[in-house]
Amino acid sequence: MTQDPDALVFDTGPLRHFAGEGWLGVLKFLAGDRGVVIPESVQRELKRQVHDLPVLQQVLDAELIRVDRSDDLPFLMAFANYEQRLAVGQQNLGECGVLALGKTRGLELVLDDRVPRAIAEEEGLRVTATLPLLCCAIRDKQLTVPMVESLADDLIAGQYFLPFGPGGFRHWACEEGLIDYE
Amino acid sequence: MGEVDEKTLGARVREARELAGLTQGELAQRVDLDRTAVNKIETGIRKMTALELSDIAAALGVRMSSFFSEPIPALVSHRSAQGLDTADSKIDRLLSQIASDVEFVTAFAAAELGFPNASEALPRPASLSDADGLAAQARKRLGLDAKEPVHDLVNRVASIGLLPFAVDLGVDTADAGTILLRQGAVSLINSHNKVGRRRLALAHELGHFLIADEYTVDWRVTDLQSGDVESRLDRFARSLLLPESGVRAAWLRHASRSRREVAVLLASEFRVDMATLARRLDELGIVDSAGAALIRGVTTTRADIVEFGLYIPDDLAGTSLPIPFQKAVLRAYRDERISRERALELLYGTFEDEDLPAPRDRREDELWNFVS
Repeated sequence: MTQDPDALVFDTGPLRHFAGEGWLGVLKFLAGDRGVVIPESVQRELKRQVHDLPVLQQVLDAELIRVDRSDDLPFLMAFANYEQRLAVGQQNLGECGVLALGKTRGLELVLDDRVPRAIAEEEGLRVTATLPLLCCAIRDKQLTVPMVESLADDLIAGQYFLPFGPGGFRHWACEEGLIDYE
Repeated sequence: MGEVDEKTLGARVREARELAGLTQGELAQRVDLDRTAVNKIETGIRKMTALELSDIAAALGVRMSSFFSEPIPALVSHRSAQGLDTADSKIDRLLSQIASDVEFVTAFAAAELGFPNASEALPRPASLSDADGLAAQARKRLGLDAKEPVHDLVNRVASIGLLPFAVDLGVDTADAGTILLRQGAVSLINSHNKVGRRRLALAHELGHFLIADEYTVDWRVTDLQSGDVESRLDRFARSLLLPESGVRAAWLRHASRSRREVAVLLASEFRVDMATLARRLDELGIVDSAGAALIRGVTTTRADIVEFGLYIPDDLAGTSLPIPFQKAVLRAYRDERISRERALELLYGTFEDEDLPAPRDRREDELWNFVS
């Protein structure tokens, strides 16, 4: 089903960030030839959230993003294994599909949530997050620090639970030479 | 999870559907598939996507993982003996759920559950005197002397590998059930009953655990008059909670009081209901049948509670989970092995979101994990 061994598999949260900020073009640039894949469980979550965030329809319609509907047993077993650790009802099914694609296809995952990231690391899956993609976009001159810093600060404090306050991202990134101060 | 092929997966879907009491058509309707598609899934001809399987599991009230894991052996033998009638029993369904939750959590936090190494099963009691002997052995395993009341029954039972859960299942169902796991065991007590009866039910389940009964569901503990093992385990339960030497000593200690007052004090001290106390005093020959009838009719009043300074126990009230299980869920959550939502679900609504610990504080240098 999944053809490109280098595709990036997105969870719902990171796609919401890119779509919400109007950066789908940036995402396309960052993905380049790699392509973007979402499991159908992420597609379902996006469909359910369109009502609250209409811009998500653009994600669902984007040619760039391919929906994976794997039905092989190793994928189903991996999905069920993550489902038991993460999901309650429909909640968190998206990340179960993301992890299962990482586990069975070896693809790189884009996950921001704490526990699925910990599981990915525990199992040696390739995993990145929204923030490193934003850093890449800054280095590639697709975005600027002022454009991303509000979202970056939110992610750092709210989802990654790192001890940085507002303005922390800009300060840290400049100090570490990760990005040039603008 | 074990190796499963499409045919086995289909067969497990069929089995779960039948246990849920649904036809293929009813399941198809619930998951928005054709009946023929469900039929093909069950025969292993049609593949499913993960979401389809997730929807089927949700419609059948089971977890997806149950289709890929080997069921608990005790459950398999029970269901093959009972056929599909077990689906009628609320307690059976919940007991299976609790058993699989405990096994799931064991994978992440076995140390917190603290299951001791399996002890050798004790012989099934063949007589009432055997039942008393079994109770004496049980008291030793629970770390009790021959006389003392069993005040912390739940924790003591959990410490020897039987995890007691309680849920209010209403009136028209069993008092309790127990299932042996690959390691340890779980009991489910119907908390609709009053505390004395709940404790008696747990003591009875402890008997099943000690003699290694794989799977039991007990209706109306103490009502059985026949000479079968259930009535001997009722005797075991009374003997455990009301040890002869302890009861005789207490009876003598309160000898100057009225029968009613002695009954109130003994029921409180040993935390049993009046019917159980009356029966025990009768079988020990401490009272005659008229005396037992009198005690059975005694009610502990509010005035008794105040004047005698009685402690009102609430073991196994409402929905209650054994401490080792709660600790294991919290450990799995703290170690980021399970999600917050899943932790709350495993705690059966006994925790609110704010009751869970905050996520682990990370160090500044861990930012590198998020940018490289």
